[in-house]
Amino acid sequence: MIWVSWRQHRTQLLAGAAAAAIATFALYLTGMGIWSNFRGSGLAHCLTLPSTDCSDVASLFSERYTNLSFLVPLFLAVPALIGIFWGAPLVAREFEQGTQRLAWTQGVTRVRWAGTKVAVLGAATVAITSILTYALTWWSRPLVTAGDARFQLGIFDLRGIVPVAYATFALAVGVFAGVLIRRTVPAMVASILAYAAVRAAVEFWLRPHFARPLTIAYPIFAASPRARLGDWVVSQVTLDGSGHVLSHGASFDLAMVGSRCPGVIPKDGSLPDKRALQACIERIGLRVQDTYQPGTRFMTFQVIEFTIFLALAAALIAASLYVLRRRSG
Amino acid sequence: MSAALVATGLSKRYRRHWGLRECTLEIPQGRVAALVGPNGAGKTTLLHLATGLLRPTSGVVSVLGRTPDDPEVLHEIGFVAQDAPLYRSFSVRDLLEFGRRTNARWDVDLATDRIERLGLDPGQRAGTLSGGQRAQVALTLALAKRPRVLLLDEPLASLDPLARREFLQSLMESVADSDLSVVLSSHLITDLERVCDYLVVLSSARTQVAGVIDDLLATHRVLVGPGRDVERIAGVAEIVRTSRTERQTTILARVDGPIADPSWSADPVDLEELVLAYLGAPDASALPPPSLARARAEVSR
Amino acid sequence: MIEFRLDPRSGVATYLQIVHQVRHAARVGILRPGDQLPTVKEVVGSLAINPNTVLKAYKELEHEGLVEGRPGVGTFVRETVKAPPPETHAGLRRSLDRWLRNAFDAGLEEEDVRALFETSVRDQATETVA
Repeated sequence: MIWVSWRQHRTQLLAGAAAAAIATFALYLTGMGIWSNFRGSGLAHCLTLPSTDCSDVASLFSERYTNLSFLVPLFLAVPALIGIFWGAPLVAREFEQGTQRLAWTQGVTRVRWAGTKVAVLGAATVAITSILTYALTWWSRPLVTAGDARFQLGIFDLRGIVPVAYATFALAVGVFAGVLIRRTVPAMVASILAYAAVRAAVEFWLRPHFARPLTIAYPIFAASPRARLGDWVVSQVTLDGSGHVLSHGASFDLAMVGSRCPGVIPKDGSLPDKRALQACIERIGLRVQDTYQPGTRFMTFQVIEFTIFLALAAALIAASLYVLRRRSG
Repeated sequence: MSAALVATGLSKRYRRHWGLRECTLEIPQGRVAALVGPNGAGKTTLLHLATGLLRPTSGVVSVLGRTPDDPEVLHEIGFVAQDAPLYRSFSVRDLLEFGRRTNARWDVDLATDRIERLGLDPGQRAGTLSGGQRAQVALTLALAKRPRVLLLDEPLASLDPLARREFLQSLMESVADSDLSVVLSSHLITDLERVCDYLVVLSSARTQVAGVIDDLLATHRVLVGPGRDVERIAGVAEIVRTSRTERQTTILARVDGPIADPSWSADPVDLEELVLAYLGAPDASALPPPSLARARAEVSR
Repeated sequence: MIEFRLDPRSGVATYLQIVHQVRHAARVGILRPGDQLPTVKEVVGSLAINPNTVLKAYKELEHEGLVEGRPGVGTFVRETVKAPPPETHAGLRRSLDRWLRNAFDAGLEEEDVRALFETSVRDQATETVA
């Protein structure tokens, strides 16, 4: 049955392997350039020195690669592609072409038939995604370190161990959709939508709460005392001295300042006096409050999200096998 | 000895109609049985239920005494679905390998010999084979697993006359070679007359006729005569179909004795006539006596 | 070697057609004593008929003494062919002529005679086999 799975999905597996090989090779070639730049510009060394401000060198370095930002959504899509092209057709195609009447009247049970195929494609998914993620993690480390961004939404999703779980989950979603819908194209559509919905739900609603976030407040024009610690700032608000939320983000409304400190904002539209403004801000007690997950929790969060998606994948596969077994053709 | 195929009160409901309704039949082993009926009569449904592709809504079906839930039963059944589905991208060789890997019992020599004798190129992709060739390859796959029962769903429907003849020749050779029971469904009766010795007529999703063909032909006659009173003709057990003109009455009847009345001429019936008569008379039936069926059921249990 | 053919429209049962063809072949010399009849597999492979039909025909021929089956080897035409003695033919012919004269005297037309004859032959044949 392993041979049968291989033979039936030969094209898909070879195409996936080829695409992964090309991507990995491209990452390797371009990555060499990025790394040498990283070291050559002195940024690598600067970042190893504890209390040095490397932000100028860092922004210079990052600016060179802003046009590579299109790669982020591209690689985020890879697991979804696996779900559509490997998962959805797995069972759906048999029904569409009527070959289930051939496949399920030989000597193997449906569960063994589907289970082996899912195992073969699953193993390939894990292998390909692992290699790609490893390459991408290596390739992006200079940029991510420069931007202190590894815990950021989107960046977190591309590195470490979670991409493997996403891809396995996408495969499972595809298989399940195919089992229920029995038509390849509708199953593909349903897979994409379901995958995107679950990923978004976990990313935006669950992930910020995997562990109780911490808060830290600091004066509005100062740098966060927790800069460069790899934190994930989940949300940020500007508060006044008594704790009222004045705005989201680190900003304040000049009109609001004007109302609290009469006379500071000139009526003719010219810029206010810097020292007067500063005094007013201090009197109001304007400060920024970051709600954050500390950078030390990065690996913990990776493991939690990995487990969630792997558990979902397992549940969907089990459900697929159950439906296959119980439902009539 | 358990029957090749037994159905008891077998029913299958689709979303809006019944595919099969209270179907009861028992096809003995060692026969080549014709499963006949109009389109939509339930032939495909019955075969799909027997192979486990469908689950019954109610009732039981078993092949060689085993229900489709039993994983062992698939080793005993060879099945060719309608239009002989194959994996189009697989070569003939790949398909044989597929058969070898998915069946516990596989006769490699039988498979390769058959392909060779059929003159097929093992490297040819299944998608490029003709209808007749596909049917033969599908039959090879079904035979090479050495089943004890072969179920064929409309195997001749999309074949030209030569391909039909070759398929039947091939099939009969296999039956001659081994202890194989065959059930073939069709809505064409003339092809089946040469090869089948057992008949099941499914009509309106239930069994109408079931029996050994020789017996059925021996116990049915076409009576032609001037008489109008058909109720009490000596020797007639049941009238299947009557047609009348002003002066002539033609009856197709099941008889249980000689027709003594000389005003009635009694001619033998051929299979097609018999089937057509029953299909046109939905209330008539010719089934083996229930006591006999029950006795056989007791023995097999 | 004999090659069978089947006439599905003749109204004669398939197995009987085979029996007749073997008998005819033996009579005209296509089949000689010691010749092997085609195997069941060969016959069904060319005619596409049920193997049981061939077995039935060969069993009938064996019963008549025309052939003998050797298990594991095949079915062979026997050394001696049992033919009815010539006197039987003459006697039968005479009683047939007598019967025909009676039938025509009774008012039967040639068609009636043929119909009556064919019905009787059929009924007799199935009775003997049963």
